[in-house]
Amino acid sequence: MSSDNIMEYSYYPGCSLHASAGEYDLSTRELFKILKIGLTEIPDWFCCGATPAHNVDELLSLSLCAKNLELADEIEGDVAVACAACFSRLKTTQHVLTENETKRKQVEKAIDAPVKLNSNVKHLLEILAADLGLERLAAAVHKPLTGLKVACYYGCLLTRPTDVPNLDCVEAPTIMERVIEAVGAETVPWTHRLECCGANFTLSRPGVVIQLTNAILDSAKAAGADCIMVGCPLCHGNLDIRQKEIEGVYKTDYNLPVFYLTQLVGLAAGLGADKLGLDAMIVNPMPLLREKNLI
Amino acid sequence: MSRIGVFICHCGENISRTVDVERVAAQIGKLPGVAFSTDYKYMCSDPGQNLLKKAIQEQKLSHVVVAACSPRMHEKTFRKAVEAAGLNPFLCEMANIREHCSWVHENKEEATVKAIEIVGMMVERVKKNRVLPSITVPITKRSLVIGGGIAGIQAALDIADCGHEVILVEREPSIGGHMAQLSETFPTLDCSQCIMTPKMVDVANHPKIKLYTYSEIELVEGYIGNFQVTIKKRARSVDEDKCTGCGVCMTKCPQKKIPNKFDMNIGMRTAIYVPFPQAVPNTPVIDRDNCTKFKTGKCGVCQKVCGPGAVDFEQEDQLIVEAVGAIVVATGFDLYSIAEKPKGSPIKGYGEFGHGKIPDVIDGMTFERLASASGPTGGKILRPSDGKEPKQIVFIQCIGSRAREKGISYCSKVCCMYTAKHTMLYHHKVHDGQAYVFFMDARTPGKSYDEFWRRSIEEEEAVYIRGMVSRLYQKGDKIVVMGSDIAVGVQVEIEADMVVLATAIQPQKGADSLAQKLGISYDKYHFYSEAHAKLRPVECATAGIYLAGACQGPKDIPETVSQASAAAAKVMTLFSKDQLEREPIVARVREAGCVGCFACKKVCAYGAVEEKEIRDRQGNLIKVVAYVNPGVCGGCGTCQATCPSKSVELDGYTDEQIVAMIEAL
Amino acid sequence: MKKKKMIISQETMDIDFVRKVEALSDTSVRRCFQCGKCSAGCPMATFMEHPPNRVVRLLQLGQWRRIIEGRSIWYCASCETCSTRCPNKVHLASIMDALRKLSWDADGPSKESYVQLANKLFLQNIRTYGRQYEMRLAAVFNVKSGQFLKDLMLGPKLIAKGKLKMFHSKNKNMTEIEKIFSRIEEMRKKGEAL
Repeated sequence: MSSDNIMEYSYYPGCSLHASAGEYDLSTRELFKILKIGLTEIPDWFCCGATPAHNVDELLSLSLCAKNLELADEIEGDVAVACAACFSRLKTTQHVLTENETKRKQVEKAIDAPVKLNSNVKHLLEILAADLGLERLAAAVHKPLTGLKVACYYGCLLTRPTDVPNLDCVEAPTIMERVIEAVGAETVPWTHRLECCGANFTLSRPGVVIQLTNAILDSAKAAGADCIMVGCPLCHGNLDIRQKEIEGVYKTDYNLPVFYLTQLVGLAAGLGADKLGLDAMIVNPMPLLREKNLI
Repeated sequence: MSRIGVFICHCGENISRTVDVERVAAQIGKLPGVAFSTDYKYMCSDPGQNLLKKAIQEQKLSHVVVAACSPRMHEKTFRKAVEAAGLNPFLCEMANIREHCSWVHENKEEATVKAIEIVGMMVERVKKNRVLPSITVPITKRSLVIGGGIAGIQAALDIADCGHEVILVEREPSIGGHMAQLSETFPTLDCSQCIMTPKMVDVANHPKIKLYTYSEIELVEGYIGNFQVTIKKRARSVDEDKCTGCGVCMTKCPQKKIPNKFDMNIGMRTAIYVPFPQAVPNTPVIDRDNCTKFKTGKCGVCQKVCGPGAVDFEQEDQLIVEAVGAIVVATGFDLYSIAEKPKGSPIKGYGEFGHGKIPDVIDGMTFERLASASGPTGGKILRPSDGKEPKQIVFIQCIGSRAREKGISYCSKVCCMYTAKHTMLYHHKVHDGQAYVFFMDARTPGKSYDEFWRRSIEEEEAVYIRGMVSRLYQKGDKIVVMGSDIAVGVQVEIEADMVVLATAIQPQKGADSLAQKLGISYDKYHFYSEAHAKLRPVECATAGIYLAGACQGPKDIPETVSQASAAAAKVMTLFSKDQLEREPIVARVREAGCVGCFACKKVCAYGAVEEKEIRDRQGNLIKVVAYVNPGVCGGCGTCQATCPSKSVELDGYTDEQIVAMIEAL
Repeated sequence: MKKKKMIISQETMDIDFVRKVEALSDTSVRRCFQCGKCSAGCPMATFMEHPPNRVVRLLQLGQWRRIIEGRSIWYCASCETCSTRCPNKVHLASIMDALRKLSWDADGPSKESYVQLANKLFLQNIRTYGRQYEMRLAAVFNVKSGQFLKDLMLGPKLIAKGKLKMFHSKNKNMTEIEKIFSRIEEMRKKGEAL
């Protein structure tokens, strides 16, 4: 922990950031370092259960999240969450356990401890847009992303469901646009910002993902975007890893690099390609970044 | 010494089955002060009442107790009988030995003992009853009608035609309301303007109607028969007496690009304007927010060109006080909008439909203006964005209505019918176009209504799709409609040129603050509440105030007109007498004891407590005490319970009477 | 496809099952008035034999077998579009969760085995490793589903990009996670939780 940090958070990276989304983890840590925001990873955090757990066993899902919230409670500061799915699960758990006493009692029995619901769970976007603030974020920019047209993709879980207090208007969110415009990029209005990519069907029913993700790529391309920005490893996987395959199936050519928000903000803040994990991206972003004089 | 008569009723077997009525009569007859005690099978019947009257006269009774059912049932009956026999009606009390005793007990012995106690209590109470003179209040036979839409116009004309003066107050520069905006009306498709404007002219020409337009209610004081209403007449900047309505000012005004609210902001108007050509009064008004003269001091063209010199930039708002005896509230409705709502609002917008930012997604009233021959497009259906004629048009019902998630659970009642009408108007005007309607249920009860809806499908070729729409978005110059057809069980996608939303009916903005001025109640949506949903549907719980039209709940034109005439009939019933008689159960202040703390004034729900100055002969102020206006007092007794110095008493329910009852136990 | 006639009576409408769904999902099934807005916006509706509104309709009629025999509930992506836009605040995504849970408990006769298999493996991984082990999840899934060659072309590329980790470190407090799983099993055995 560096003493000149201006803010401190406990950090819940989630499983993907330790595996397929390593570049999200790397760029987050590097970006927050230069923004002087401290991140203390919650020791021995567990998987939040993600979609499969609540899909078939809500009690297990709530218990896993409650256990993580208990672990987070031992560290000073609000909880910073990178993955949209983890974020949604942790927030939903707080909501359900506050509203429903029967479920809260069951969960307390399952984790053998009183549930701790006081932690403020925040997605990285909220930390950048609200806690740090767009002005301070803009002040950290070394290399404005001038001329880069970004399609901000929210997917499902950043803003939903509507009764759980999440980070922005459920139907017309602007937080991603506000963050990336603050570092100099241009955003494009497009129609599929909130449509589902097929999420974890990528394992069981990839055909579904290919169809849904194609519609999203098609819409971003049609809107004139150079690239897509996401805040969720699962969306990223579908848009980036499966992009070549989709191009093959639909006989088209998108060539849309898919960045994590911390990669683009980090780029503007002056981080180099090695600290952003750009080499981990399947759709090579280098030609685009060179064309725009950003690398 | 009192000579009390006690009359015990069997109520058929309702009471006598569980109460030994003869024993009660015998027992009560022994009480001091009771001169006569008897029982009878049906005390409320004609022979029963005659028995009571005869006893009063023969036994020279001073007070009467009838032991029977609830006073809610027959108190009036017996007090009337007592009055007919020459006693003051308030010297008669009822002892409830049916609902409070025989109906709720099974053991006859115990029930009989309880009945004796109940009657005994009332005997002690009635000894303390005083003669209460009936209260009369004068009636000012003029009425106020608030709102100049079809409801207010109808009510005003009906009352005025009976010869009573009417003050009609309208917030906008012209009367006419929403009905004047409509193109054609269901289920007969007659032109709204054609049936509306003659009525507007009748109002203007009626000798008994005094019209205040561009005016609002500022303050309401008083009570039934005697209201004082302060009206704020906003400065029109045009002298109504001098103006001839020639319209030269409007043709010369250089500010020509101001969106006209009457045309749902599609058409444009000048800064000095009448909202529409058939306006009543046909006197322009200057919109000071948009007038160059008011903004910069330069211009004044209208004043220069006005022949009669009617334009008056110096005119100021005026406060006018009118005395009226009855008030009809007819403030109408407003349309829900899908725009984003401020944080914390109980009502939400439709982000999934673009929050109103897609230009060719319009609401039903905008479509009315497009379809209206006198509208901004001359009756042509054209898209607001590029003026093209839409060939694929989608109507979506239940927008905001029946949507708990958006904060409105009720059905707006008129949308099914007007949407069917819109499909017909569209079909009549765009022969090669196709109309689609997304709907859940078609609610068409009403004379010739369902036939009308069926006609839109069977003859006018509208395609109705049973299912709702999840999302609307702009794609090129089309609007993608993502819907579903639940009968087939598939998703439906339509690329539409224009989308018309049947948005919910809400009460007029500011309905709540007007209600607070009037002292009437409203529901959580701010629709005004009627006194009884079935039996008093046009009266407010507050005496002397009546409701007409959509301010009480969503309504179509026929229903609004019926309710307006009903409200007018209620006003005429009130005006049919010269004085209003009311029950003398009112609170009275003992001025000697009153310390002027006005705790009673704070708790009075009727606003009946006033401040009264007590002065000596030289006119020096001694103290200020509370005074209860008997015309306004509701007789609830809250002031009596609140008064710290025990200086207020409710006639008929004095502390003395209640204590006597308790002591009798 | 031939469809069975629905015989409706107090006996054939399993309202107890509906109550279980309502308790698990904390939402009202009766409240749905079949407007179809959920189905209109569902990204997965085209893959389902019963669109979302019809799932609720069948539930309202107590005909849950017709639901769990099919694939619809397993094709729900949990995107929550339905719950977000429902005019009646029916939390359909939670109803779907409850139906999958109850279907799983009843050893549901659904034809949709791939999604169920993926879910099972996912939860097993959590129980064994505390965290998700993506490489293992994908590999075991392919073996168990008999699709040995699925996404074969992606594998090496992902490994080269560092996206599939060959080895996975276990959490230090694995006993904790095992306790949570076993306590829940115990509670269910005792009937303390659904």
